[in-house]
Amino acid sequence: MAKAAPIPGLEADTLFGAAAAAAVEVRVGEVFAHSEGILDVSDIERVHAMRVATRRLRAALEVFGACFPKKEHRRVLGEVKALADALGERRDPDVAIEELEKVGRKLAKADAAGVASLVAVHRAEQARGNEVLSAALDSAAEARLADRLMALAESARAVDVEAAEDEVAS
Amino acid sequence: MKARRVKGLDCDGRLDDNARRIVKVRLDELRSFAPKALNPTEVETLHDMRIAAKRLRYVLEITSPALGSAAEEGAQAAKELQDLLGKIHDCDVMTPRVRAHVKLLRLEDAEYLRRGAQGAEDLSPRAARAAPNRMRYRGLEALHAYLSARRAVLFERFVTHWEGLEASGFAADLEARLRNSGEPTPAAPVAAGTP
Repeated sequence: MAKAAPIPGLEADTLFGAAAAAAVEVRVGEVFAHSEGILDVSDIERVHAMRVATRRLRAALEVFGACFPKKEHRRVLGEVKALADALGERRDPDVAIEELEKVGRKLAKADAAGVASLVAVHRAEQARGNEVLSAALDSAAEARLADRLMALAESARAVDVEAAEDEVAS
Repeated sequence: MKARRVKGLDCDGRLDDNARRIVKVRLDELRSFAPKALNPTEVETLHDMRIAAKRLRYVLEITSPALGSAAEEGAQAAKELQDLLGKIHDCDVMTPRVRAHVKLLRLEDAEYLRRGAQGAEDLSPRAARAAPNRMRYRGLEALHAYLSARRAVLFERFVTHWEGLEASGFAADLEARLRNSGEPTPAAPVAAGTP
C-alpha cells in the first residue's frame, strides 16, 4: 500500500483552514493519480491504492469539515463516498479471491475443488464490481469531481485569508 | 457508524489545537466500544470499533506534521488495532458466505438428482454418486473450519492486545504527549558571560 504523500507546509501553528486546503489538495491528487489502468483485474493493487487514497481524502474532508462551505462539502463528500463504495465493489472480491486462493494452495489437494468453486463466485462478483467502478469513474469525470474538490480546498484557504486581513486591519 | 461530532473547531485557530480536540473525541469514541467488543459474538461492535480505529489513525496521520512523534506512534498503534480487527471482520464476512455457498451447492445437487429421478417411485442412494458438486463439499467444510478457528485465534489476540493497551494507559498517555507537542521549544539557557 502506498504511503500517504506528505502535506507540505503543515506546522503546529498553521491555521486550521490553511491546513484543510493543503491536505485536501494533496489527497485529491493522490486519488486521481491511481485511476489509470484500474479496471485491469490482473493488477489488483491499483484498485487498492486508489481506494486507500479515497479513504484518506474522505478523512481529510471529515477532519477539516468545519472549514468548508457546508452545502458543497456535503455534496462532494457524498460523491467521494460513492466513488469509494464503487472501489469497494471491486476491492472486496479482489481480496476474497486472493485470500481464498492463498488458503486453497495450503489445503489438501482433494479440498481444492470446493475452494475453487467459491473463487468462481467471487470472480463473477469481481466482473460486476468492475462495471460498477467503471460507471462511477465516468460519473466522477462527468461531474468534474476533481476540479470541484480543488475549488472546495481553495475555499478553505480563502477563510483564513479573510482572517489574516482582519488581523492586519485591527 | 456515524462519527461523533467534534465541537469547538476553529478554522482560524491553530492546527495543533484543533487536532487535539479531534483526537480526544476519536479516542473516546474508540474506547467506548471496548466493554462490548470484548464479547466475541458482538460482530457489529467489533466492526464499529475497527471504523473508530481507522478514524483515529487518519486524523493522527494527517496532523502528525503538527503534533510530532506522539501522533505518528499513535497512528501506528491505531493501524495495528485496525488491521487486527480487519482480519476478524474478513473472517466474519467470509464464514457466512461459505455456508451460503454450500447451501446453494446442496440445493443444486438435490435438484439435479430429483430431475434425474423423474417418474421413479423412489431414489437409490447410488444416485448421489452423480451429484455434480459432490467433490466440493469437503474443501468448503475444511475452509469453514479453518475460518472459524482463525477467527477465534485472532479474537483472543485482539482481547490481549486491547487489554494491554488499556493497562498501559495508552489513551491518557497519547493525550498527555499531544498536549505537550507543538509548543515552542523553551530557549536554551544562556551561559554566564555570553553577550
